[in-house]
Amino acid sequence: MRKKIGTAMVVGAGISGIRSALDLAEFGYSVTLVDKAPNIGGILSQLDYQFPNDRCGMCKMLPLVNRDSSSQYCLRKGLFHENINIMLGTRLTNIEGEPGKFKVILKQKPSSVDPDLCTGCGECARVCPVLVPDSFNMGLSERKAIYLPVPHNIPNTYTIDFSSCTRCGECVSACPTGAVKLPEEKRKNFNILVVDDELIVRDSLKEWLEDEGFSVEMADSGQTALDMLKQNTYHLMLTDIKMPGMDGVELLKEAKKDLPELPVVMMTAYATVETAIEAMKQGALDYLLKPFDPETFTPKVLEIYQTLEVVQEIELGVNAIIVSTGTEYFDPLQSNNTFGYGRYPDVVTSREFERLLSGTGPENGLLQRQSDKKPLKKIAWFQCVGSRDIQTNADFCSSICCMHAIKEARLVKEKLGHNIETTIFYMDMRAFGKSFHQYKNQAQNEYDVCFSRSRVHSVTENKELGGLMVQYVDQKGTRNEEQFDMVVLSIGQRPSSGTKELARITELPLNKWGFCESEPFSTSLSSKEGIFFGGSFAGLKDISESVIGSSSAALSASRFIHSIGGSLSSETDEEIELKDVSRQMPSVLIVVCTCGKPQIEGVEQEQLKTNLLRDPAVNDIVFIENTCTALGLSNLKEVLEKSNANRMLIGACLPHVYTGKVNQLCKGTGFHPQAVNVVDIYSQDALKAKDEGGQSLESIIEQKLKMGFAHLKRMDPPLAPIASSIQKALVVGGGIAGMTASLAVADHGFKVDLVESQDQLGGNLFWLKSTIEGNDIKELFEKTVKKIENHPLVKVHTQAEITCSFGSVGNFHTSAHSKKEDKPLSFEHGVAILATGGKEALTTSYGYGTSKAIVTQKEFALNLDDGSINPASLESVVMIQCVESREQDKKNYCSRVCCATALKNALLLKEKNPQVGIYVLYRDMMTTGFLESYYTRARKEDVIFIQYDVENKPEITKDGETIKITAFEPILGKNIEISADLLILATGLAPDFSDAMAGNFGVRKDEFGFFQEAESKWRPVDSLKEGIFSCGICNSPRNITESIATAEAAAQRALRILGDNKILAGSIVAQVHPSLCSLCERCIEACPYDARYIHHENTHVAVNPIMCQGCGSCAVVCPNSASALAGFIDQQLFDVIDSAF
Amino acid sequence: MTEFEPTIVAFFCNWCTYTASDLAGTSRLSYPPNIKIIRMMCTGMVDPKYVIKALLEGADAVLISGCHPGDCHYINGNYKARRRVKLLKEMLKRFGLEEERLRLTWIGASDGLQLAETINTMVDQVKKLGPSEIKSTMVI
Repeated sequence: MRKKIGTAMVVGAGISGIRSALDLAEFGYSVTLVDKAPNIGGILSQLDYQFPNDRCGMCKMLPLVNRDSSSQYCLRKGLFHENINIMLGTRLTNIEGEPGKFKVILKQKPSSVDPDLCTGCGECARVCPVLVPDSFNMGLSERKAIYLPVPHNIPNTYTIDFSSCTRCGECVSACPTGAVKLPEEKRKNFNILVVDDELIVRDSLKEWLEDEGFSVEMADSGQTALDMLKQNTYHLMLTDIKMPGMDGVELLKEAKKDLPELPVVMMTAYATVETAIEAMKQGALDYLLKPFDPETFTPKVLEIYQTLEVVQEIELGVNAIIVSTGTEYFDPLQSNNTFGYGRYPDVVTSREFERLLSGTGPENGLLQRQSDKKPLKKIAWFQCVGSRDIQTNADFCSSICCMHAIKEARLVKEKLGHNIETTIFYMDMRAFGKSFHQYKNQAQNEYDVCFSRSRVHSVTENKELGGLMVQYVDQKGTRNEEQFDMVVLSIGQRPSSGTKELARITELPLNKWGFCESEPFSTSLSSKEGIFFGGSFAGLKDISESVIGSSSAALSASRFIHSIGGSLSSETDEEIELKDVSRQMPSVLIVVCTCGKPQIEGVEQEQLKTNLLRDPAVNDIVFIENTCTALGLSNLKEVLEKSNANRMLIGACLPHVYTGKVNQLCKGTGFHPQAVNVVDIYSQDALKAKDEGGQSLESIIEQKLKMGFAHLKRMDPPLAPIASSIQKALVVGGGIAGMTASLAVADHGFKVDLVESQDQLGGNLFWLKSTIEGNDIKELFEKTVKKIENHPLVKVHTQAEITCSFGSVGNFHTSAHSKKEDKPLSFEHGVAILATGGKEALTTSYGYGTSKAIVTQKEFALNLDDGSINPASLESVVMIQCVESREQDKKNYCSRVCCATALKNALLLKEKNPQVGIYVLYRDMMTTGFLESYYTRARKEDVIFIQYDVENKPEITKDGETIKITAFEPILGKNIEISADLLILATGLAPDFSDAMAGNFGVRKDEFGFFQEAESKWRPVDSLKEGIFSCGICNSPRNITESIATAEAAAQRALRILGDNKILAGSIVAQVHPSLCSLCERCIEACPYDARYIHHENTHVAVNPIMCQGCGSCAVVCPNSASALAGFIDQQLFDVIDSAF
Repeated sequence: MTEFEPTIVAFFCNWCTYTASDLAGTSRLSYPPNIKIIRMMCTGMVDPKYVIKALLEGADAVLISGCHPGDCHYINGNYKARRRVKLLKEMLKRFGLEEERLRLTWIGASDGLQLAETINTMVDQVKKLGPSEIKSTMVI
């Protein structure tokens, strides 16, 4: 593919990092994706199920156009993309240079298993004598010291965990390819200096460390140590704190003067822990707690050694850096109330529970009581463990745990049947996304999940019946006790462990909770030029917000790279052109990998050869040892270069392992990747068959090869179709989302037409003044409009309405009518971004319209602004939340913005008039993320919050100018009456997205009237129809910052297509034989991507290869076999079926 | 006499079940060699004629497996497969094909164990049923 000039580095390869990397790579930049873990996927590699479909769907993030450039299999297994270089086990340690010309220093952990040699056979793990808790399963199962970090990952290279490895060497001798090498001798060159005044401590430490192979020297005082440091080179110093004369802290200070890079670890008794922590601030690496014993001391030192021992320091030049290292889960043991976690095996965290649910988990997904392995009958979830808790320094909402818990409760019901009782104990149920509330309702009504608004104070063991007793206080203040078999703690989020270090490297400040916060009105901009935040690094986000945030980060990075001169020109890869072998007589080279167990030997090989060569289409059969290793592949390349075959069949194991390797091989030789087929001939069943004396091994292998061969014989690999594309964008809607998207696209050098129906740009920014954080919206409005007006590539068309649009990705034709000039407008564009926005919803509830004292949130803002409301004259203000929202048939979604607005208004009123009484009647306060702190502040400032249920809404009566609100106060347990001189109604947001608009662009509306995204989690701004994107409120209810993020994400998605004047489709696309087509149009109906249309000559149905994703639905419904999917045509499949017998 | 070893032709979707079979391979879970796996892009592209062809050629059973409902990489291919298989079953019943000989299951990429179990159960079931007679009954 064509590459743009520009490189970016993405730190953290979780879902956010993957999204950012893919976005930039698809646009054409080279990306280095690094992660300190030995695998990609982050937290998601452990989560098998995500709501709303309670399954996965991550693969939907893979490229849709130019699919051949990336992997096309389960994304949780692995990822490869031509433009992405993935570096695992790697940390970013330093950034130097100017923004745009960064020089980054990466340190890669030593890998004692050579990935080029490891075949993933697992012999090493079989012989390894060590058993340690498996971190992938949250310690609920055990693994060996040599292990697969994620069992389902590709490449399936084993890793050694040196902190538990005993260096027995069993794995080295067991490895059939010699991939394992223990770095024993390196430890001898690792000098450790032990400083302690007590001889016995020095001696025992020396002995333990020397047992591990290190070189150790000792010093009995600080002064001696300093002298020794001057004379010799040491790689690590362990020093006691309390010593006569120069103490440890002083020694640290002195030593660091001359040797700032020397790692120093403090040794301390419990009494001086504070000093040790203080020492860490002065540059100590870590501290170890006395008294020591070899079982705890040695692993700790090995861990430190691991972080210090560096096999490679890599220096890279990059233009921009995206940090997306995500978050970590809170450890309940850090809390004052652990709810018995760590003590009772039946108390688990939500993350552990996720592993217990998983088919690859410790119990293979069979849920049972942990203490006695009995069946489960009742499970409880405790929300807000380590969130919304000032005691654990978490005055924020983790934003993901409510949905996490609901999903788990539903999955339990699905797995174990509806008889199982599930209860979620919560404070506010924060189902705050577009479809979240409905998902929660389903859980409540269809799955019978019990939601209990109460506070749990303790958990005790139920010695009689087993399981646990949960003591809690409900809303009325009544104390209750209930038996449960299992308790799941919905643990909150914390900054990831590397955040502090990254903040230091990037010189960015942390907020009081340890997160890096982004700039106002952005989720991705840092205060440093060239460094951007993706995903939850800068705050608490669920998957879809992370996906949006990381696309927005990719946009910011890409815009920055462009601004410094990147992407202006593009370089073409020096690629050997793919040979077009379609229409050639098949000549298949069969390669059989011989690393399998049991191996096929000489006689069997000959037999196999004779049998297969009977087919004249077989060119040759070669046997290569360990084909998937680097050596095997180079042997294969040699064979391939000499051969005149035009198709190749590889018989090996794990076909997906080969996808990337085959692509690379093909690139070097010009062999068409689609002309290569890999079949699994060594799966377990072959082995079993031989053991049981059934079919012979070679006959099983022969048959599998024959099936692969049959598929390949008729494979007519076409070169991927190419379509032309207009490099212009159309943006509909000139609110903040539309303006942001326009600028984002135009800043990359592409023309944008911005169509707005009103006479001015701005949308809701007209009446909004400032955010709850105090950011100036007016300034944002003026700045953005000015940028738009002065941008040479953005053409604004106000007072214009879209009349019709047709075409497909790359080639759209849209007409509009300009009311201002009373003339038609027409646009040709490659993509369209819909940002038609939304408004504050109207209402007739709660006496709205009958009194001037009953206003909506927007009216309140306007009245306050024009002076018609005077805060000083107010005595009592009531706010009602969720007006005609989150109810059946009435905006059954959360509008996300109203709770924050209510708090903003309340705090503003309190500031202007501290005497005013403010009562907020709410259902669930949706103050997610850092907004929670404003909720806390409002309560501190005496704003009264009264919870109400939808069945028991507040009632309004009027008494002259005063309004009387009667509401049920759940804590008092009775109705109360509040007199108010102002009632503010939170009516929520309603989308402004007409049927005509959706129809014109061929996209769908969801049940609430918003734009229907292709996938709420994985493709949140795309429509199913490629080339149409949406952002802002017409996509889903959002505040300004979030709208801007969606706009940037939509622009980034659009740029993938705008980046080139040609779009490359995938090779597996549908085709039509015109002569067979009877124009029945069934295929048009069946296509989920609208890729089919009637040819303009009205003779047959045609396919838009760019929109076609290759699902094959059309081929099945075609009554004449006129439709076919390349690579899966009928004849091929019939041959394959034939060869199965 | 040696025990009857049935032949089962399996159509697995590239995204979920094919990945699960791969996982079953890495996790060293065993399933019998009776199963002949054919990789499809989606269960929605499994044409009934492939199923019939397999049965006519001598398959004792056919297994189709893909992503869970709502999880299809291609939006709704598995729903299409569900409708199609239901109808096909109705039809094949009239030719004397036992219900157990055609199965449609949802097996996600991480459910290697479930896949091994499904295959093992199916092999056992078909062993009990004996060889399929459809080869002769369906020929007109």
